[in-house]
Amino acid sequence: MAAALIAALVATIPFARVTITGSEVILPAYAAAVFVLEVITAALLFSLYSVQRGPALLVLASGYLTAALMIPGWILTFPGLFSSLGIEADVQATATIAALRRITFALFIFSYALAPFGASAGRSPGVTATWTVICIFAAAAAVMWLIARQQMSLPTFMRDARNVTALWSIVPAAAMAIYVTSMAILIRRRRAALDIWVCLVVFSLVIELTLLSYISSGVRLSVGWWGGRVYGLAAAGTVLLVLLADTTAVYARLARSVAAEQRARQNRLTAMEALSASIAHEINQPLASIITNADAGLRWLTRAEPRIDKVDASLRAIVSEGHRANKIVLGIRTMFMKGAQERALVDLPKVITDVTRSAAEEANLAGVSISVLLDPQTPAVIGNSVQLRQVIRNLVENAIDAMKTISDRQRELSIETRRLADGEVEITVRDTGTGLEPGMEERVFEPFFSSKPGGMGMGLMFCRAVVEAHGGRLWTSANVPRGAIFHVSLPAAEMNSRD
Amino acid sequence: MAEQSIVFIVDDDASIRASLENLLASEGYATQAFDSPQAFLSADRPDLPGCLVLDVRLRGNSGLEFQRDLIRRGLRIPTVFVTGHGDVPMSVAAMKAGAIEFLLKPYRDQDLLDAVQKGVELDRHHRRQAAEVAELRARYAAMTPRERELMPLVASGMLNKQIAAKLQLSEVTVKAHRAQIMQKLEVYSLAELVRAADRLATEGQTGRSADAIA
Repeated sequence: MAAALIAALVATIPFARVTITGSEVILPAYAAAVFVLEVITAALLFSLYSVQRGPALLVLASGYLTAALMIPGWILTFPGLFSSLGIEADVQATATIAALRRITFALFIFSYALAPFGASAGRSPGVTATWTVICIFAAAAAVMWLIARQQMSLPTFMRDARNVTALWSIVPAAAMAIYVTSMAILIRRRRAALDIWVCLVVFSLVIELTLLSYISSGVRLSVGWWGGRVYGLAAAGTVLLVLLADTTAVYARLARSVAAEQRARQNRLTAMEALSASIAHEINQPLASIITNADAGLRWLTRAEPRIDKVDASLRAIVSEGHRANKIVLGIRTMFMKGAQERALVDLPKVITDVTRSAAEEANLAGVSISVLLDPQTPAVIGNSVQLRQVIRNLVENAIDAMKTISDRQRELSIETRRLADGEVEITVRDTGTGLEPGMEERVFEPFFSSKPGGMGMGLMFCRAVVEAHGGRLWTSANVPRGAIFHVSLPAAEMNSRD
Repeated sequence: MAEQSIVFIVDDDASIRASLENLLASEGYATQAFDSPQAFLSADRPDLPGCLVLDVRLRGNSGLEFQRDLIRRGLRIPTVFVTGHGDVPMSVAAMKAGAIEFLLKPYRDQDLLDAVQKGVELDRHHRRQAAEVAELRARYAAMTPRERELMPLVASGMLNKQIAAKLQLSEVTVKAHRAQIMQKLEVYSLAELVRAADRLATEGQTGRSADAIA
């Protein structure tokens, strides 16, 4: 892009000093365009500042606003433009404003290059921005007033309405020096994409100055002079477009992330609701059974000829159901209350061997053979060992239950661990049981969805909640030729410590 | 229970099934429990006046689906719903589909027993009515085509003279047919004949509409 700018510059050189007479009439339009572009740019930068809070942005925004506010004064005092309206200012006034505009903008760019880009603490950015805008307006008004009142003591920049004096040549030289220094600083620091764009603007401003002041020898309304103006406009327009595109992209991203956040919250909420409903259901079942048995016992007792044997049976059922309810409450407590927040390095192979050892007797009774295949490279995970143990125990118990009814094949339960490429550990629990019907792969994680009568386990719903709380995933797939596989993936501990 | 009856229980929780059987047995009901709707459908069930106690949220398909399934199959058994987590729409759906009662676990024993008794009584009533209609149909089947032709005319209150004119028969013949109809339907007055004719007509209609649903 810089190359294109230079090419355009070279193309202008031969005609630079040719004056286009009568082209003053376009000047107000040009001034209005620059004014609008710079004000919008300033507004965007101010709003960007109020979000990102970087002092550098505030400085850049102030620079654009200051430059924009000097344009009305400059165009109103331009020799011969508004004489019909009775505005006839000193020829030096226009040049003084132009000089001020050039130098202050360059200084703002320089300050931008030096100012910290990161967010600064302190007062709210909205208040700071408002005060900055007020100060700039006041300063611009004061300067214009001073220039209007003290026209005689203004420096002599112009020989006549068209041609500049030697004094003028200091202004572009100074501005260009500041610009080049700023560019050097910006290119070296390169803090954000905006820096590159500012560099490009500064570069095009340098070209504009070259055209305006040297190639056209400062002759107003010449081809070179107009070329410089067009450059300036193009540069301002480019930055504005980039800023607009950036802002729109930022807002789109913001809207997307807000929507995603809402979805996530919704999901969490539904999971919590489902979880509490599931807990209520788990406890309600034994309670209902206890109450019904107690009612039945009373009826057996108060009959005309009481049946003590039936009362005995009712009471025994009540006791066993009471224990069942207690087991559920204990299970919930280990899952969610006591030490649920404790996180430590968990040795998965140890957890798995513990679980298989404690399930060995049950497996034996059910005629299930358990095989464990642990990858020696299995990394540790960070989590709650009690909860993870519960999850694996649940999966193992489910697998054993799923195989109790089959008789045409071996009842095999195999547990494997595997290290995945993306820094995760996968645990698979594979059975040769009845398997899941197609379409049930997700439903098994819903509350109340049970495939075993009187399911004592906390349910797959709890398992998934725990695994997801560990930043992992729990899903199922079909085993070949028959049965189901449950997969648990958990982030490995090394990944966590590296982050 | 003086008369024979049976209560079917469909619930996937074994201990709930056992507790219900215990409670119903203490009131003298015979029970039969199943862990799934499929087991209930495929079982050899005694043909007795009865009632079904059904858990709404069964594994596989829900109790509400099962209730609709029963209606489709033409199994008209009064149903008492029990659920651990019922809500208003669920109970409305169940009641609309003809449930006797919708009880939340844990329920009061008297509520359940009342509902079961109501269900059994209702089934007994249905069965008695069905038997009567079947009997009536058999008698109707024994009539000659001419008698069947005459019956609605007699039932509509037309005099023998009018019927004779309409069908171009002699009055004596109409009188003889009329006596035959009364005898075959085992009715002893015109009022009874009208009722029987009415019953045959409406039961025939409900029978047809039930077929249409199936």
